[in-house]
Amino acid sequence: MGKGSQVNVPRRPIWTGNLTIGLVNVPIKLYPMIYDRGISFRFLHKNDGHPLKYQKVCTKDQRVIPWQEVAKGYEIAKNEYVIFDKEELDAVKPESDKRIRLDKFVDYFSVDPIYFDRSYALMPDKSIEAYSLLLTAFEKKGKAGVGRITLRTKEYPALVHAYKGSLVLTTLRYAYDVVDPQGFEELRQLKAPEKVELDIAVKIVADLSGEFDITEYQDRYKQKVEELIKKKLKGETVVVEKPAEEEVKGLMVALRDTLKQLEKK
Amino acid sequence: MSENLTKVEFTNLKKTLFPKLKITKAQVIEYYIKIAPKMLGFLAERPLVLTRFPDGINQQGFYEKDAPHGTPSWVKTLKIYSETAKRDVNYVLCNNLDTLIWLANLAAIEIHIPLSKADSREKPDFAFFDVDPEPPATFKDATIVALLLKEKLHNLGLESCVKTSGKKGLHVLIPIVPEYAFRETRTFVHKIGQKLAKEHPLVVSELTETKKPGKVFVDYLQNSHGRTMACPYSLRALPEATVSTPLKWSEVEKGIKPTELNIFSVIKREKDPWKRILENKQKLK
Repeated sequence: MGKGSQVNVPRRPIWTGNLTIGLVNVPIKLYPMIYDRGISFRFLHKNDGHPLKYQKVCTKDQRVIPWQEVAKGYEIAKNEYVIFDKEELDAVKPESDKRIRLDKFVDYFSVDPIYFDRSYALMPDKSIEAYSLLLTAFEKKGKAGVGRITLRTKEYPALVHAYKGSLVLTTLRYAYDVVDPQGFEELRQLKAPEKVELDIAVKIVADLSGEFDITEYQDRYKQKVEELIKKKLKGETVVVEKPAEEEVKGLMVALRDTLKQLEKK
Repeated sequence: MSENLTKVEFTNLKKTLFPKLKITKAQVIEYYIKIAPKMLGFLAERPLVLTRFPDGINQQGFYEKDAPHGTPSWVKTLKIYSETAKRDVNYVLCNNLDTLIWLANLAAIEIHIPLSKADSREKPDFAFFDVDPEPPATFKDATIVALLLKEKLHNLGLESCVKTSGKKGLHVLIPIVPEYAFRETRTFVHKIGQKLAKEHPLVVSELTETKKPGKVFVDYLQNSHGRTMACPYSLRALPEATVSTPLKWSEVEKGIKPTELNIFSVIKREKDPWKRILENKQKLK
């Protein structure tokens, strides 16, 4: 259980290939940078402590179905599917051509972070000079390259940019995966605020302005669970302390008042 | 909880119980906590019948007489043999604030009380007139009949009190000394109803006439062993989260809208019109 905020550098690249700009190829290795390091649990059988596993069960007769009998279906209407074999889908899979092609260069800050999906560290593979040249150029101009990469079976739009003295590739979400908030009815009812109120709001924002520091935010649930785990390992019994929800706080206020009234009687 | 103000462990506080008004279980519990000083006196030592709506009032609720499985040991219960069920029913008695909070946490939205106390179950301490308008008769019509009733009782030297049922009618009650059998109070209430029916075309008093359109039925049958009424200040399982609200007769005379007496407004009422009614137990003859 790593306690610190520092994440160790991964040992093996998950992808190797070339970063291609026009006719120039820069050999590159790709390492994951993003992890889900929150607390995770395994489901166990309460009675004997053995891990539970998932099985695919036929909804018709509740029989467990082995992998070789599993096909993929695309639902076109309720309970109506177009069925695919593995081979059929494999035939249309994007080919991983081991190439990140950069089509153009954009201002890094012009890309809305809402599209950012997952980031990977790009490390030089053999040609250090080419890597260094590209990195320095990105840093100087504040630019990022836009292109595509195929990871496993999916093709992603991607951004290659400089981050903390390294080249980083960030996969992007497709536009179809992002909601445009202008679709919300509530926004139609917005009115321009009164000037006096706006001045106050602006002042509050100014007063609370500061530098962003992610380490100010700790995963408190994870910390508490880790403490519980330590206690359990030491054989201490864990006292379950219920969190005081907002609702409970409200009820306590009412309770105190009522208890006072009842005392008077 | 660091402070132990209640023995109750709250559950599912965010659950919506009244979908139309988006009222959560937390709000229902808060209502019962706040109304408790006015309500507890009417609950004490009476075997309760609950209507619980754990999934909100739009889902099927259920009547519950038996203390549910998992009732904590500090909740007082009373076993009473039921002739109809041919077994002992273990009723909940709500004699303190914690029990009321526990009931609210069970989503027992409606709390019904019998007209007699546990220590004298055959001798009621209320005579009860259920004033029930049958459409197109309205709440207004029920008001007219309730006022006639009050007048009639007053002339007999009896002081009555009134509450909304929380649904469409009014409840008129006389707190009485527990000396009469249900049969006697029932006959008394029936006779008054018959007199009113003779004098006023709006009123009906016989069981066979209950569903006569446009009439107001003065129901005497609730004055029976095993029957219950909505406890004063009980919420009702209606979309408007109405409350069976004790009123002053002067309020009834001025005219009220029963739907406006709900979970939000009743808590703000300064008035406690029924504050002393249990101290004024009267004789019927």
